[in-house]
Amino acid sequence: MNGVVRRLTPQKLAAAAFRLREIGIAAALGISVLFFAIRAPDFLSVSNWQGIAQNVAIVAVVAVGETMVILTRNIDLSVGSIVGLSAYLSAATFVHHHAAPVPVVALIAIAIGLGLGFVNGVLVAVARVPAIIATLATLGIYRGIDDEITGGKNITAYQLPDSFLKLASEKPAGLPALAWIAIGVCLVGAVTLRWAPWARDFYAIGSNPDAARFAGILVRRRVITAFAISGALAGLGGFLFAARFPTVDAVAAKNFELDVITAAVIGGVNVFGGVGTVLGVALGAVLVATIQDGFILLRISEFWRLFFNGFAIVVAVTIDALVTRRLQDALRRRRAEVRAARHREAQA
Amino acid sequence: MTAKGLAGRLLGRWETLLVAGIVGVGIWSWTLSPFFLTRGNLLDLVTPYVFVGLMALGLTFVVIAGEIDISVASTLAVSVVCFAQIFAAGVNVWLAAVAGLAVATALGLANGLLVGILNLPSLAITLGTLAAYQGLAYVILGGEGVASFPTSYTNVGGGYIAGNQLPVALLILLGFALVLGLVLHVTRFGRYLFTIGANREAARFSGVPVGRVRVTVFALSGLMAGIAGVVYVGYFGSARADAATGSLLDVVTAVVLGGVDIFGGVGSMLGVLLALVLVAELRNGMQLANIGGPTQDIVIGVLLLAAIVAGNLLRAGRTSGFFPGPIRGLRRGVIGRQADEAVRPSNVESPESGR
Repeated sequence: MNGVVRRLTPQKLAAAAFRLREIGIAAALGISVLFFAIRAPDFLSVSNWQGIAQNVAIVAVVAVGETMVILTRNIDLSVGSIVGLSAYLSAATFVHHHAAPVPVVALIAIAIGLGLGFVNGVLVAVARVPAIIATLATLGIYRGIDDEITGGKNITAYQLPDSFLKLASEKPAGLPALAWIAIGVCLVGAVTLRWAPWARDFYAIGSNPDAARFAGILVRRRVITAFAISGALAGLGGFLFAARFPTVDAVAAKNFELDVITAAVIGGVNVFGGVGTVLGVALGAVLVATIQDGFILLRISEFWRLFFNGFAIVVAVTIDALVTRRLQDALRRRRAEVRAARHREAQA
Repeated sequence: MTAKGLAGRLLGRWETLLVAGIVGVGIWSWTLSPFFLTRGNLLDLVTPYVFVGLMALGLTFVVIAGEIDISVASTLAVSVVCFAQIFAAGVNVWLAAVAGLAVATALGLANGLLVGILNLPSLAITLGTLAAYQGLAYVILGGEGVASFPTSYTNVGGGYIAGNQLPVALLILLGFALVLGLVLHVTRFGRYLFTIGANREAARFSGVPVGRVRVTVFALSGLMAGIAGVVYVGYFGSARADAATGSLLDVVTAVVLGGVDIFGGVGSMLGVLLALVLVAELRNGMQLANIGGPTQDIVIGVLLLAAIVAGNLLRAGRTSGFFPGPIRGLRRGVIGRQADEAVRPSNVESPESGR
């Protein structure tokens, strides 16, 4: 009897499901690598993987922030515009102050993103605008601000200092510097989401907002925090974006939010909130970047990329919902079995 | 009804506020250009936004039913490129247009099946199809455009009747608003929408065919995006894969500013129509004032946020008694009133959960 109960704890069952998810992504990644390696001879070259790593890096940095927002059962559509705005402002700072120290400009970019994300958070948590509408509006508003600032001009690589461009070109230990930054962000994000009490609250809020409030969690403050972090990381992402794609104009990083959300959702972050890990999201980002890179090598039209993103979101959401429902059904059934077993025991 | 009672009821309506806004922006526009108040300009004000309005009419149904469809602009794009490709292959332009409508309805139906039958969140699904359909449009037509549509057809978007005064597109919009307004406010199907939007569980227990209605609503939204596409191609005279990208903000703003409760269950067709006029007038006025597209987007975005915040304040005021009577009644539409006063699952969807 005791053995049955221990074997059936919901936590274990749920943990098994997550592990299955991460194994699933890894398997999908393995299959796509194998497929592209056979079809495109250049796919396995070191330089190609360095390119992939650079693309993954930017998506992953922003996706870690997006994950925190989705965990609280919200969504942040505005990250594409924040990345674009921050990319232009970072590049413009270097144009006007050629000798500006790189970390200082990075901090400025993060601060800009933090501010914009904070606005999102206040709109959602205090003004109670649904996240989808609030960030759809700020997606337009931030892009409008970006348009106003750029005024149709663009910045090119020639105007930017080498110290900044080195972020993309330099490859300590074989990995691009961008990727090292992303690994750092992912590690900090993973540790935070695993152990920081305030970040654990994100899971509680996403699992059941009302229960979280009754449990004394400062729901509003946490939701604002999640949006602010998402904005800050989008700001950092914009800074990295400008180093990777140094020709920055008003349409830079348009639709980037779709890459980010695809990575998060494929990576197992449940759109209903409360479920998701940084490891999964990082794998999701790698999978998205790998498949997109493979598309380019196979000369499959760039146009398929958007389609792939959207299709992947729909498939991942569908699978997630169906698995979650199965899991809940199974848990309910087993709980009933346990109750029946206890009942029999008491009778005996 | 006494005159005073009538005045009080009119004052207490969200639509009255919109009319006041339209008059206000009109006066502002008039100070910018004396040509604003000519009959030709007033009649043509909405014409460039008729396709936005047609999408907004469809989205209204979806939002009242408590869901969201942010894939409408992408659906329009796919519909338009299919229409163009079929036309370019030598098919009669009207037949091709009907094929475009069929495609749009099928795409809407796909959303509906995923949301209504599999019970998936419309927010995530239509975000996915927003990207997928946009990509599909590019895959079908590539980066090129199709033009050279016959004038007999382009008249639906840019033509005039009644002595070159009345824009055909405006008549199409008003016609659909009237028909869909009747469907929404008079038919049983319309009542179902308000019931589902107010409380889906209660609707199910009352015998409302919830699944079927939700599927229908998304298919209808797709169809309206297709009709919007037909008018769009007529107005601009060409079809491209990036058709109507960037119009989503205007569509959502028209619906929400029109007094449709973003949490479902409340809204009126008249409000959406008035909100569309307000958005069109505002953009027209900003053009008169030489304010560029980016700033216009900022203003429209702020307007969207302000509409929701205002709605939230009014709702909070209504329950706490902070606002005086007429203002408290602002959120209640003609039909919305009943749904509004019915038991709303306001605690199921916590405000902080945000969707």
